[in-house]
Parts: sequence; C-alpha cells; structure tokens
Amino acid sequence: MNTDTNTNGFLLKVDDLKTYFPVKKGLLRRTVGYVKAVDGVSLAVKPATSFGLVGESGCGKTTVARSILRLIPVTSGKVIFDNTDILAADASHLRSIRSGITLIFQDPFGSLNPRMTVGNIVGEPLKVHKKITGPDLTEQVRLILSKVGLPADAMNRYPHEFSGGQRQRIGIARALVLQPKFVICDEPVSALDVSIQSQILNLLKDLQQEFSLTYLFIAHDLAVVQFSCDTVAVMYMGRIVEQASAGELYNNTLHPYTVALMAAIPKINASQQASTHRLKGEIPSILNPPPGCPFNPRCPFAGDRCFAQNPPLLPVSGRPEHLLACWHI
Amino acid sequence: MGDNKQQKTWGTSYGEMVWKEFAKSRFTLCWLGFIILLFMLAIFAPFLANDKPFVIRIAGQLHWPIFKALTASDYGIFLAAIVAFIQFLLVLRNRRCVDPSIRAGVLWRQITISVFIVLVGIILLFIFIPRRLDATDYKSMVASGKATGAVFAPVPYGFGRTDLKVREQPPNRQHWLGTDDVGSDVLCRLIHGSRISLSVGFVAVGISSIIGIIIGAILGYSGGKTDFIGMRFVEIMMAVPVFFLIITIVAFFPRSLFNIMLIIGLTTWTDDARFVRAEFFKLRRQDFVQAAVSLGLPLRSILFRHMLPNAIAPVLVNATFGIAGAIFIEAALSFLGFGVAPPTPSWGQILSLGVSTTGRFLWWLTLFPGLAIFFTVLAYNLVGETLRDAIDPRLRESV
Amino acid sequence: MSDNGILLDIKGLCVSFFTEDGVARAVQDVSFSVKKGETFALVGESGCGKSVTALSVMRLVADPPGKIVAGEINFDDRNLLELSDQRIRAVRGNRIAMIFQEPMTSLNPVYTVGEQIVEVVRLHQKKEEAEAWDIAAEMLRKVGIPDPVQRVNEYPHQMSGGMRQRVMIAMAISCKPELLIADEPTTALDVTIQAQILDLLDQLQEQSRMSILLITHNLGIVAERAENVAVMYASRIVELSDCKSLFDNPLHPYTQGLLQSLPRLGFTGKRLYTIPGIVPEPLRFPAGCKFHPRCPIGCNDKRCQTVEPQLRRLDNGRGACQSDRQVACWFAPGYERPDDPKI
Repeated sequence: MNTDTNTNGFLLKVDDLKTYFPVKKGLLRRTVGYVKAVDGVSLAVKPATSFGLVGESGCGKTTVARSILRLIPVTSGKVIFDNTDILAADASHLRSIRSGITLIFQDPFGSLNPRMTVGNIVGEPLKVHKKITGPDLTEQVRLILSKVGLPADAMNRYPHEFSGGQRQRIGIARALVLQPKFVICDEPVSALDVSIQSQILNLLKDLQQEFSLTYLFIAHDLAVVQFSCDTVAVMYMGRIVEQASAGELYNNTLHPYTVALMAAIPKINASQQASTHRLKGEIPSILNPPPGCPFNPRCPFAGDRCFAQNPPLLPVSGRPEHLLACWHI
Repeated sequence: MGDNKQQKTWGTSYGEMVWKEFAKSRFTLCWLGFIILLFMLAIFAPFLANDKPFVIRIAGQLHWPIFKALTASDYGIFLAAIVAFIQFLLVLRNRRCVDPSIRAGVLWRQITISVFIVLVGIILLFIFIPRRLDATDYKSMVASGKATGAVFAPVPYGFGRTDLKVREQPPNRQHWLGTDDVGSDVLCRLIHGSRISLSVGFVAVGISSIIGIIIGAILGYSGGKTDFIGMRFVEIMMAVPVFFLIITIVAFFPRSLFNIMLIIGLTTWTDDARFVRAEFFKLRRQDFVQAAVSLGLPLRSILFRHMLPNAIAPVLVNATFGIAGAIFIEAALSFLGFGVAPPTPSWGQILSLGVSTTGRFLWWLTLFPGLAIFFTVLAYNLVGETLRDAIDPRLRESV
Repeated sequence: MSDNGILLDIKGLCVSFFTEDGVARAVQDVSFSVKKGETFALVGESGCGKSVTALSVMRLVADPPGKIVAGEINFDDRNLLELSDQRIRAVRGNRIAMIFQEPMTSLNPVYTVGEQIVEVVRLHQKKEEAEAWDIAAEMLRKVGIPDPVQRVNEYPHQMSGGMRQRVMIAMAISCKPELLIADEPTTALDVTIQAQILDLLDQLQEQSRMSILLITHNLGIVAERAENVAVMYASRIVELSDCKSLFDNPLHPYTQGLLQSLPRLGFTGKRLYTIPGIVPEPLRFPAGCKFHPRCPIGCNDKRCQTVEPQLRRLDNGRGACQSDRQVACWFAPGYERPDDPKI
C-alpha cells in the first residue's frame, strides 16, 4: 500500500527484547523470581507502514510498547530507532528521542491530565521541545486540533467536558503535535463505542497518509489490527508466535493459537458461522510458564517435542515474510 | 465585544467544579463566612479594641493617637490584607477575562508581584515607623475635661492595660465580658488574641504542608530504597506523641509565638507526607503521567504541572483540619503556661486564668475564650469536611 | 406458564434519573418480550439505556436518583413493579438471576466462593447446610471448574477472571432460574475465554430451558448467540427483530451504520464506513428522532428533526403486518401510516 522504499530499510528495529519484572517477597523485598513479560521479541518496522501486535491480556504487547520508549526498565535487547540505540541513550538524548516516538493510550479518561486545558495538554510538548510560545503556539495547537476533527474552542476547555471519542482525538493530537516519525498506538479504540471506533480507525489511517507516519499498533482485537496494519504479529506469553502480512495471516493461518483466536471472535456474517474450534483452559500463569512451548497445555496438536523445547520464530518455507514459532507445521 | 460569546466556550476547571460542589452546602458557607469574619476581626483588632481614641481635641488641637500608636507590624498586616484582597479580586477577574490555557501563568505572575509588594512594604515599614510608647491616659483627660471630641474604638480598652481597681469583675456595662486578674478587659484581649490563634494555625500548617508535600513528593516519585528508608523515618515521627514533644521543646526554648509556630509545623507534617506520597504512587502509574514522560517533558514539569496539582487535594483538606488542630495545640500550650508570654493575649492564656490564685472559679474567663476556641475549631473542621466531600466525588468520577 | 410461552413481557417502560442538572430520561417507552427458553439480546452503545432496562427487571435501579416512571414488567404474568419489596426479593436470585460485567468486583473478597453460593442456595431453597455445599460443588462442576470439591473453599482472588465469571454463573444458576440476565458477561474477558463462557451459557440453556436476556455492545455475540434482538439508541429501542433478518437486512439507519462500521476479520480495505458525530448524552437529546443529527437519510428531513418516530410493526401494503419486525424510522419501507403527521 505505502511503497516508500527507504533503502535503509527499517525505521524501528527491536532485537531480542527482554523485559523481566522481579517478583519480590518478604520484609527485605528479596527477589524470588522473575515475570518474563517480554521474552525475546524481535521486530522491524518499515517507514510509513503499520505493524500490528495482537494478543490477549497479559501477553506482553503493552510491555513491548513501553519498553521501546523506556517507560519501564528493560532487561536486555536492542531498540534501534532512526540509527540510534534507544536503550543506550542518556537522559537528555532520550528526551529528544521521545519527541520522535509518541504514544497514543487506550484509556481516553485516564490519559489526559484532568487539571489542564486541552490547549495546554496539546501545546506543552511544543513549548518544551520546539520553544514555541504565544500566538504561534496557539496557532499550531489550533491547526492540529482541526486536523483530528475537534472544534477550535476545544483549546480552552478541560478533558472532562468531552466524550470518550473526542478525548481520544485529543490524545491523538497530543501525540502528533511534535510531528513524530513513529507513533505507538496502544489499544487506541478498545475503550470506545462501536460507532466511534470506526471514526478513530479511519482518522488514524488518514493521518498516516497525510504525515506519512509509521505505526506500531497494539490491540487485542484481531479484526481491528488486520484492518489497520500491513504486518501483523501475534503474541502469546511474552513471545511472538506468528507474524505475516495482514492478508497472509488471514488467508493462511498456521499457528494453532492464531487459528483459535480467529475462531473465537464472534462473527456477524452468516457465511463465517461460529466455529466449534475452542481452546481449552486458560492462559497459564506467567510466573511459572509450562516447559517447552508455552502454548502446549491448550494446544490440540501438542506432541512430545512441544513439551520439551520452545520453538523459535522462523520463516515458513517458501514464504520468507511469514514467520512462525511452532513445531507442528 | 466578543467577550460574552467567548465565555461560553470556556471550560469549567477543576477548582470551579469543587467550589460549585462546596457552595451547595449553605450551612458550611455560613461557617466559612464566620472564619472570614474572624480574620477581619484579627486584622482590624487595634481599631476595634484600643484604649487610645481615633481622634481627640486637646487644647484646641486635633490629635490622632491611635494611628500614631500602631506599630510597624500592625501596618504590615493591613498592607498584606489589602494586597491579598486585591489579589482575590484579580483571581475573580481572571476567571472571566483570561483564557484558561494561560490563566495559571498569569496567576503566578500576579502572586509573585503581590508577595514582592508585601515584603518590600513590610521592610520599609519597619525601617520608617519607630516604636513609640504612648502612656497617656486619654480617658481620664476626657473625664477631667482637658480634652474634648474624642472618638474611641467600640471596646475602649487596651490589651496591655492593667487596672487593679476593676480586677476579676464579672460581665457588666463597662466590661461586657468581664475583666481578668489584673483588670484587663476580656473582650479586648479576646479580640487581640484572635490574631495569635489564627496566625498560629495558618503559619504552622503552612510550614507543615510545605515540608509534607516536599518529603511526600520525593518519596512517592523515587520509590525503592529512598522510599523505604524515608517511610520508616515518617513512621518514627508518627509514633512520637507530638504534644508532649512540643511541651518538652518549648520548655527549653524562649516562649515566643514564632517558636511555637515553628515547632508545631515541624512536628505535624507526617500526615501530609503520607497523603502526597500515596497520591504520587498512584499518579506515577496513571496514563497521563506516562504520557508526559513519553513525550520527553522535563522532570520539573512532570512533578509540578502534571503530578502535584492532582495530589494536592488531600493536603488541602488536611490543612483545614490542621489549622483547627494547631489552634487547639496553641490554646492548650497557653493554658499550661507554655504559650506566648503575657501581656500578649491568647485564647488559651485567658482560659487558664479561669481558676484564679485565690481559688475562685471565674466562669467568664473560661466560658468566652472557650467558646471562641470551640467555634473556630468547629468552623475549620466543618469547612474541611465539606471540602473533602466536594473533592471526593469528582476524584472518583474524573481520574 | 402463560400463553405463547412468553416469560418476560415489558410494556412501555420509562426510567428517569433525577439529577441536579436535570431529568435524564435513561429509558423511554421500551417494550419487548422474552419467550421461554430463548436468548433475547439487548444491544447498544454505552449510555443507551440497556443496562438500566436490565436493572429495572431486577428492580435494582438506584432510587434516588433513578425512578421507574411508567410501564409494566410482567414476569410469568405478574407485574414485578407492583410486588412488595419482600416478594421481589424472593424472585431476585431465585427465579431471575443476574450476572454482571466485572467478575473482579461482583464477588465478595472476604468469603470463599462456596460460602457465597451456599448463602444463595440456603436463602431461596431452604436446604440443609450440607446439602447446599453439595449443590455448590455440583454447580461449580456444571460451569466447568476443575476439582470443584476443593475449589469451593477458594477465595475469589485465587481465581482468574474467566474462572470468577464461571463462579458468578454458577451462583446465578444455583437456584435454577427461569430467566438469566447477563449484563455484558464477557466484556472484561479475553476473546478465547469469552467464547468458552458463551459456549457454557448455551449449554446451560439447553439443559434447563431457561431464558437469557443478553445485554451487550458486541454485535458479533448477538449474531452468534441470540434468537431475537432489540437495538437501543439514546434510551429507545430503534429496531426489534429476529436475529437473522436483522443482520441480513437491517432497517434502521443506525443498525445499518453499526453493521457497516465494524471492522471484520479479513477486511483490509482502505476505509471503514463511519457514523458521524457522537452518541448524545441523556441530558442533551436532540429533538425529533434522536438519531437524526447522525443519520445519512434523515439529517435534513423536517419530520425527522421534529417528530420522534415510535417503534411499530411494518405494513407490507396488504393490510397485514409483516412478521415480528419492528422499527422506529420514518424512512423504513412500510413504516408510515395514513394518520401520521405530514411535514
């Protein structure tokens, strides 16, 4: 779709990212173990494309997003953005990097400071990073607010006076006001009403075209991710288990987890009738994952090898763009 | 003017919402009015109770003894009150005439100017107004016909004046609330005493809130080891019985008002610190703070623009209770004889005279200051209670 | 049982919330009926009044500020709104049970799940304690919880969200209710768990022939699980139909818009259809048809702007009424009657 052929290849490269949270116990808060929230995730995003991360709650998709921005301490790995290593940057460098990668949040109610006017929320990054003040600032804020479809008088109002969809537009305006290259959308529509979701999804697509933005799009809804993204990666328990272009993933689903995920989505069309393919059991505790492939307790095809070894993420033969982590296929 | 049209599109800020919620309780508004009245009383105490007349004609010449007798600190209080009142009017004006987006900046500029004016003014006053002692007995001059046309304050007695002829008198025509053991007018001393009680409450709580906010913010934002050690220190402070600590300290230091304020402030900050720390802990994980971090905003902005205004509400509520508590502590200290030194009047001190050296129970010396303490503490507590209720539902709804 | 096998019949239900800022009419003139053994879905966006309708059936609308202003709720030919508080308590949890959206907060954290089920069973069925514990374990087994005999002694926080929702269901069905009200039962759950829970509800329904009033915002769930459906918008039902016809041929522009605006699996097109504008708040409903500001057909129509259409059966032109489909739109074919106001 977007055929911007940057010869350098990728805008963002994440290499073997690991984010472990220590589990502390007792009076002296000794570390007794680790929650491997993200356990060796690698991904690469081309400029002006959308990369989707999809998975159920607790699979680590949000942790990936926050690790990329170093909002939480990362255990190991590399995050290369625009030829700089984010994880190695010092504090002041990090601040300038953060003006190039911005974040759109899930919760339109919690992500805006209730004590600040919309004008201040959207304008503050400009003031800090670009040193714009006075009428220039007002003008730029007004411009970006109109781009996301908000009235100009929104500037002098407070977040609580807006509906969920409008608040999400404010969040988008804040994320785009610095003209970043890369935007991480963390479940941008999952808290919104059905009739508002499509407005926001379209808006994100329009803005991507206008400013040739690159998205890392995180969601639990496979249909939303497929609509919005060029490449989709499915995560399960801190790892990517399957990754392919949106069309390929739908037409040629390989990993049993992806198959089950698709089957579980309630369908509207009579042609896509409810599948009887159901996953048994629940996501195992991430504190002590099962040995071997973490999906093995729920997998209908699990064999001996699945219980012994965790499968690596490798290209499917004949389709170099389709990556899969499963012994079975 | 497009003023009217523009006004409609302005949002309602959090403060305005809280005020609207607060003002719904007419009952508490009355008590807020009572506190404001008390402040007026304290500010204008020398005009309400003074043994010197405003104006007097002696030997055909007009004199203004009251204005000459006022000290630099009296004039300083007037100046501060006037500037504070103008500042208050400016805030009201800002609400209608300044864009909400730049209101905070404008407000800070105005406050800085106000504080500057007051500080410079007070310094100048202390330099240029000498302390004069005027021991003239104007009343006897009027009585003996040496002076005419005197206009006295409503309570024509000075708080330092002693008159052993009228000691320990119950309420009567001349002394509405009676006199104490050295013949000073109780009403006059009550009015002047309000200055002590109110300023103790304000300054002590100001000190404790500032300490509490700073310590709480540091602990809450840094977390980890700093927080662990800091909280243990706070817990130790909390375990100390504050009142006895204060009595012990006061016993070692000179009995001055300033010392008492400082000691109360330095020992009662633990609640504020805990509140702010808890709020910061919660806020640190909130998306809008994460958003501020992810946008690369400087730490100063994150702490003071994004976190502190959202954490201040419980401190504000606690402050009103704290003021009541400080007034109480001061009264108790004075009652026990550790308070301000006489002749400076304070409510607790008047109260302590209720049982005189002769063993008689002088009920008017106990009842009136007791009522004053009671109603002031009650008013602050009611205001705090209503403020908490006004803040709480909004917090639950919007954060 | 009553004639036509109708279990729950709601007629002209109006619920208002009396707030300081004005009267919010949360439910206006809602009528529908649930047959015995069927799944009836009430679908709509947040604030459309679907949950308030459900709470009204249980008589759980918070009063004040809420108040059921008008209407009847006939359950098994008795008007629930006329029952005394004591009688309604005997119905609640016994003949009508409810499960809520949030499995994290709808169980009491200080009691074991067994104690909570036993309490309900003993209250409504007058069973001995030992027998009630057996029933509790049996219910947990029925909702697919492994090792039910041990798990009755667990506390809610020891279980995952999906398990807790199963416990909620176990508690709800422990008295073999005739009607189960499921208020967004799976919204807080992951899709794979959601499918399990919905399967469980289907299976329980098959065993006991209970009716389910399913409240959801998810049209996919409705399409897969319900027989009849009412679409609510801004406190009114705008379309009432059997499920198949609704999804094959939606009549109300709102329903049409909703169905078109959903991203579907496998759809990777350029843009989604959108309904413009925002969902109106109950205190600021527009005049006329409440959907007209967002409607592609009615936004400029004088009648849509001034006169609110009522929910009614469609006229197929031959004097007879078409099946059971009802809609509230001036532009739906066969909607208009000769005595309607002309503008």
